[in-house]
Amino acid sequence: MSTIASTMADYRHQLRNNRLGLWLFFISEAFLFGGLFVSRFYLWGNTRPELDQTLGLTITSILLLSSFFMNRAEMAIAHDDRRTFLNSLLITAALGILFLIGVVGFEWRGHIRPWDGAFGAVLFGMTGMHALHVLSGVIFILIVWNNGRKGHYSSERHWGVEACAIYWHYVDVIWVFFYPALYLMGTVVR
Amino acid sequence: MRILLSLGLVRGLIAQAAGTAFGMALTMAIRVLLGLPAWNAEPVMVAGALVGVISFLVGVGAFTDWFKWVKGEETPMRHGPPEGRPAWTRYLSVDYSHKVIGVQYVVTGIALMLVAGLLAWIFRTELTQPGLQFLDAPTFNTMISAHGIVMIAAILLGVSGMMNYLVPLMIGASDMAFPRLNALGYWVNVPGAILVVAAMFVGGWNTGWTGYPPLSVQSPLGTPLFLLGVYFVGLSSILGAINIIVTILRMRTPGMTLFRMPIFVWASLAASIIQLTGTQLIGLSFLMVVVERVLGMGFFNPNLSPEAIALGSPPGNVLLFQHLFWFYSHPAVYIFVLPGLGIISELLPVFARKPLFGYRWVALSSMAIALVGFLVWAHHMFTAGMDPGLRVPMMYSTLLVAVPTGVKFFSWVATVWQGKLSFPTPMLFVLGAISVFLLGGLSGPPNGTVTTDLFLHDTYWIVGHFHATMFGGFVFPFFAAIYYWFPKVTGRKYNETLGKLHFWLMTPAFWVQTLAQMDVGLKGMRRRIVDYDPALGIETGHLLITIAGFVIGLSILVMLYNLVRSARTGEVAEANPWRSRSPEWQIPSPVPEHSYARPFVVVGDPYDYGLPGSTYIQFAPSGASE
Amino acid sequence: MELEKKRTTPSTPALAQKRAAAYRLGTIVLIALAVLTAIEFAVGRSGTAIVALLIIGLFKAGLILQYYMHISLLWSDEGGHG
Ligand code: HEM
Ligand SMILES: [Cu+2]
Repeated sequence: MSTIASTMADYRHQLRNNRLGLWLFFISEAFLFGGLFVSRFYLWGNTRPELDQTLGLTITSILLLSSFFMNRAEMAIAHDDRRTFLNSLLITAALGILFLIGVVGFEWRGHIRPWDGAFGAVLFGMTGMHALHVLSGVIFILIVWNNGRKGHYSSERHWGVEACAIYWHYVDVIWVFFYPALYLMGTVVR
Repeated sequence: MRILLSLGLVRGLIAQAAGTAFGMALTMAIRVLLGLPAWNAEPVMVAGALVGVISFLVGVGAFTDWFKWVKGEETPMRHGPPEGRPAWTRYLSVDYSHKVIGVQYVVTGIALMLVAGLLAWIFRTELTQPGLQFLDAPTFNTMISAHGIVMIAAILLGVSGMMNYLVPLMIGASDMAFPRLNALGYWVNVPGAILVVAAMFVGGWNTGWTGYPPLSVQSPLGTPLFLLGVYFVGLSSILGAINIIVTILRMRTPGMTLFRMPIFVWASLAASIIQLTGTQLIGLSFLMVVVERVLGMGFFNPNLSPEAIALGSPPGNVLLFQHLFWFYSHPAVYIFVLPGLGIISELLPVFARKPLFGYRWVALSSMAIALVGFLVWAHHMFTAGMDPGLRVPMMYSTLLVAVPTGVKFFSWVATVWQGKLSFPTPMLFVLGAISVFLLGGLSGPPNGTVTTDLFLHDTYWIVGHFHATMFGGFVFPFFAAIYYWFPKVTGRKYNETLGKLHFWLMTPAFWVQTLAQMDVGLKGMRRRIVDYDPALGIETGHLLITIAGFVIGLSILVMLYNLVRSARTGEVAEANPWRSRSPEWQIPSPVPEHSYARPFVVVGDPYDYGLPGSTYIQFAPSGASE
Repeated sequence: MELEKKRTTPSTPALAQKRAAAYRLGTIVLIALAVLTAIEFAVGRSGTAIVALLIIGLFKAGLILQYYMHISLLWSDEGGHG
């Protein structure tokens, strides 16, 4: 075996390990978010507080859109399109920050506060834990962008990008369930 | 002095102290900026603790390689002892070898066991007589709480230690799948354990290891430190589990199909699945208590403020905590015991010179226990006022766990049956484990049956039950494993006489302790209470428990003396003193840095002892490595 | 070095085609997600259909897991495009 071929084989082997490891981490985190999700139903039952529906739909759309750009970035580096790769990453990060502003700057400034009974506890618990993950995702994206700018990834080797992308999508998947649980399910209590 | 400062541990401790101070100061500054009074012990300490833990990890060097990755630098894998420093220093610094990390886990685990054991000696002395002797109630409460949780942390560390050292060797992997993550997984325990121990000195806490609200929301200042410390130990479980599962699924040597893996590897896989998933929920429940304490978020608070009533908010509910907590903490008992039960199945065939009976069934029983274990959590809540409709299903699922556990027992008995038995220390501990685990296992069904549990709950009977299960399922097998693999790890023999002395002190004492605990429990002794009514007639029982506890502790000191002395001056051990078929015994002792100079393939079944002509593994011809 | 070279080779038409297909798939998935979200919103406003909302959520999650997170790569023996 030539050295290049053997390092490539090593890389493939490690890549598959990495992938499995990251997915196991997702499974683990699913139990954390699942615990919050179940807590919402345990405490709120079939009710929900009055929340700003426009805001909810807006931030949800922002996050979905960011997932689209994240996917575009990953596809771009996988197909040797460096410019699209870097630009899409930046757009993703910007959308992520917009989402955070939506949650922290607007939703958290609403009429419900953390110490207001189960409504406050669950609302802030769920959005807070999720926002923490979004924040870490944004940092991850910026790190990858910085390394990408220096030319660190190629179509054959970009586990860093892939990990960042699927982590970001994972955080989006969580919101796919949190959004209806907070904003749409059950009857509004006034 | 230079060497001292070059040790990761020392730098980590300094960093933790500095980080804690910094975190506290920062929080106070922010509070002042927000117009709040600077000092409020709870939030200031919680923030300090968090910053302190992260600082420890940075200081010890667990993140160093990753920081370089962030900057886009490559970091080659380090192997071997550090250059220019004595070899022992690698045990006190970040090291990526699974063998070093395994030893680190085990030693730290034993150290915590000693801390918790010392606490037990103290409060057991207090309990020899009714009334208050030399402890007041808050101190007593702190001590029993710390005893419980520190022991649990010790057990988790012991389990991880065994898995780290043995799994890669048994499956022929060069190391764990993610060595850096492995090191982080070990080191995060250290600041976590420091927080738990520190919690005893900043007010203590009085909730027991379970931390139930509403008490844990109101209890003294040690509580949040205890909760956070446990959180970090749990984080270690999760990281370790990821590593073990990937290693087992992806790094087995050719020919090692799932049903040719050693039973211990099966047990590690099952335990890791529980660690991976369940741990998040104890973490979440503890985190919820912390935010309820610090921010007033009322997950568990049944009272509503006027504003919350105006919003129409439902109240919090303490039972939510118990559901989340036990969803982890019941399966957690299988994290403690599955690897230990795996050790029993692993060693019995070696000392009986017979194949393990029903290999496939034993392998699958670990998985079955792990999965069914997730369906039984509410058997801890029969008296808690939960939905009565949950009681009967939980009772039946609890009793169902007895089936796969029974499979293991039958396999053990059938393996020993007509074997050519020999009784060195490890074998003694295996047999002791089986006898003690039987006692613990049989005391379980009465707890799982609703009618009897209403009477037994929160008595010393339960204390007897879980000490027997945990000693039988973890402590005895753990000691068996330590004696058994000691020659492989150190290259020297332990002292057989002292080993036997340890066994013959500990086992009878343990039986006395457990039976006496169950007896005083049935007579009305409540758990976690500093005082009892002399009219119950349980003073003799309590005296027996205390004496037995001291004997158990002394016997463990005998073991430590034996191990430390033998590691330095013991007789040099041959490569395979037990005539084991397992691959790690076919290479020199102590295991070389790169365990297997030549890779091996698996060509037969692992436990075919005494079958003529059977082979388990074959090494590749030399020169064929790479 | 071989990698270095690849990186700077001008894209061939075949590569350009594959790339365009990948982008297109991403767009289609986004549209599907947007439609599902709109339905979700409408359902949520009109009543308390928890189960319906859960099912829509599962569909959305399924799309993301399959097309954005490439969950199937876990089972592929090839290193995939990673
Ligand atoms: C596998 C070994 C086992 C271990 C390590 C173990 C461990 C424990 C522990 C630590 C507790 C006390 C929890 C607390 O602090 O409140 C406990 C309680 C309990 N155990 Fe076990 N156990 C084992 C086996 C069993 C079995 C086989 C059963 C039933 C068939 C069982 C049923 C129960 C029940 C129902 C309780 C709750 C009792 C109460 O608090 O009222 N356990 N066990
Ligand atoms: Cu249980």
